[in-house]
Amino acid sequence: MSLALNAQLLFSGVSVGSVYALVALGLVMPFKAAGIVNFAQGELVMVGAYIALFLSVGLHLPFHLVVPITMALAAGFGIAIERAFIRPVMRAPEFTIVVATLAVGLMLKNGVRLIWQDNLYPLAVPFSTDVLALGPVRINPLLLYMDGTAIVLMALLALFFRFTRQGKAMRAVAQNPEGARLMGIRVSWVFSATWALSTAMAATAGMLLGALFGIHPEMGHVLIKAFVAAVVGGFVSLPGAVLGGVLVGVAETFSGAYVGSTFKDVVAFLLLIGVLLLRPHGLLGTPLARRV
Amino acid sequence: MSPPQRVLILSACMVLLLAGPWLLGTYQQYLLNLVLVNIIIATGLNLLTGNAGQISLCHSSFVAIGAYATTLLYANVRLPFWLALPAGGLVAAACGALLGLPAIRLAGFYLALVTIGFLEVTQILVHELASVTGGVRGMLAPRPSVAGRLLATDLSLYYPVLAVTLGMLYAARNLRYSPLGRAFDAIRNSEAAAQALGIPIARIKLAAFTIAAFYAGVGGGLYAAVVGFIDPVEFGLWASVRHIIFIVVGGLGSVTGSVLGAAIITGLPEWLRRFQEYSDFVYGGLLLAFLVFMPRGIAGALADLRRGWHRSRARVAAIGSPSQ
Repeated sequence: MSLALNAQLLFSGVSVGSVYALVALGLVMPFKAAGIVNFAQGELVMVGAYIALFLSVGLHLPFHLVVPITMALAAGFGIAIERAFIRPVMRAPEFTIVVATLAVGLMLKNGVRLIWQDNLYPLAVPFSTDVLALGPVRINPLLLYMDGTAIVLMALLALFFRFTRQGKAMRAVAQNPEGARLMGIRVSWVFSATWALSTAMAATAGMLLGALFGIHPEMGHVLIKAFVAAVVGGFVSLPGAVLGGVLVGVAETFSGAYVGSTFKDVVAFLLLIGVLLLRPHGLLGTPLARRV
Repeated sequence: MSPPQRVLILSACMVLLLAGPWLLGTYQQYLLNLVLVNIIIATGLNLLTGNAGQISLCHSSFVAIGAYATTLLYANVRLPFWLALPAGGLVAAACGALLGLPAIRLAGFYLALVTIGFLEVTQILVHELASVTGGVRGMLAPRPSVAGRLLATDLSLYYPVLAVTLGMLYAARNLRYSPLGRAFDAIRNSEAAAQALGIPIARIKLAAFTIAAFYAGVGGGLYAAVVGFIDPVEFGLWASVRHIIFIVVGGLGSVTGSVLGAAIITGLPEWLRRFQEYSDFVYGGLLLAFLVFMPRGIAGALADLRRGWHRSRARVAAIGSPSQ
C-alpha cells in the first residue's frame, strides 16, 4: 500500500516537475544569451494557454493543429516582446531589467483579463483522461502526456544545441558575445531566437497546465516554482534546470501528502533558501568568479 | 534661494499643509491621509532600493506586518496608540533584519527571488494564523485615540499622520547625509570598492533592510488606522510593484522623489476612474516609460531643470543683460 502510494506520488511529482522544468528552461536560455532574467515568463505561460484556448474554442481547430500553431504564434509573440520591451533596457542595471519584465507581465495579465475576464476555462484534450491502473498504482494519463511532451521537447532542444548551426551560434553567444560577433554570428538574431524558443516552451507548459488544472489569468504563478527550479539547477545549466524542476515537483508532492497542503507551497522556498545559502551556484552550475 | 525666501516658502507650505485640509471634503481628506501613509512607505523603500541599491519585492509584506502588529498591540494588548505604532514598526524591522540575514549574501535577481519568497511565506502565514489575523476575511482596525481623544474623523487623524510623516521624512533626509547614508551610496555604486574602503557591507545592507522595514511597518500601522480595515489581498506582489512605481516615477534615491511619486501615484486612480479596466496597462506603461526615458524620475528631471535655469542665469549675468 505505502509503496504503491509512494510510487504514485513520485510519478505525479516528476510529471508536475517536468512542466516546471520546461518553464525553467525558458528562464535559463535568455539569461545565458543576454543576462536577462525574465519575470514575465509566468505570464508568457498564461498567454500561451490562452492562445491555445482561442485556437481550439474560438476557431474550432483540431488539437493536432492547435499545439504547433500555438507554439509558433507564441514564438512570434516572444520575439515581438523582446524587440519592443527588452532590447531598450538590455544594458541597464539588473533592477531595471527585473522591474521592466514585471511591468510587461502586468500588462499581459491586464490584456488577458480584458478579453477573457477572471473565468476558469478547461482546455479540451482529444484523448481519454480515465485513470489508468498499473497494478495498485493509479495514473492520470494526462501526466503521462506531460512527461512525454517534456521529454520530447528536451531531447529536441539538446539535439538542436548540439548539432545545428543555429544551436551552436546560441552556445557561442552564451560563452562570449563579443567573440561570437567577431566570428560573424548575428548576435541580435540569436537574442530573438532564444526568446522565440523560451516563449514556445512557456506556451507548451501553458497548454499542459491548462489541460490539467484549467486556464485562468493567475496561472503565471508557476513562475516562482520554475525560478526555484532554475536556481537549484544553477541558472546557467540546461540539464540543471530539468533536474531542479523535477526536484521541486517531487519535494512539493511528497510534502503535500505527508506534511500538509500548506507546506506544499512553502517547501519550494525552503529549497531555494537552502540552495542559495549552502551552494549558491546551484547543483550543476559553476561557481562564478567576478572580476572588478 | 536666499534665507528669507526659504523661510517664506517653508512657512507658506506649513500653512497650506495645516489649513488646507479644512477646505477639502471628507473623501479628499481620506485620500490625503493615504498619500501621507504612502509617502512613508515609499521613503523606506527608496532608502533600500534607491540609495543602498538592493532590490526588494516584499516591501508590502512589511507594511502588512506593521499593520497587523500595530492593530493587535493597540486593540488586543491595549497599548496606547503612540506606543503601539512604533512597536509595530519595530516588529516589522525585526522581520526585515530576519530577511536581511540571507539577503545580504545575495544581489540582483537572486535577491528579488528571495524577497518574493518572503512575500509568499508572509501571505501563507497570514492565511494560516487566522485566529490572530482573521485570515482571508481580514481584520477590523479600530480608530486610534491619542491623549484621551478618539480620532474619529479623517481630519482629526490627518494631523498626527502628518506629524509622523514629516518626522520620518526629516529622519530620512538626515540619514542620507549621515555616514550610514554615504555608505548606502558607496555599496550601490560598487560593493567591491566600498569593501576596499573598509565599509562593512554586510552590516550596512542589514541596516538598510531593517530601516526600510521599519518605515514600511510604521506606514502599515497608520494605513490600518486610516482605512479602518486590514485586507490581506492588499499586500501581494502587486502592492510591492506599486511601491516600486512610487519610487521609479518619483525618482530613485531622492527623498523628494519618494514624496512626489507617492503623491502622484496615489492620486492617479482618481483621475483614471474612467479607464479602470486598463489601469495595469497604465501602471506597466508608466514604469517602462520612466525606466527607459527618465530613469532618474520626476525629481531627477526637476533637478536638471533647476540646474539648467541656474546655468542660463549665470550666463546672462556674465554677458550682461541683453537690454543694456
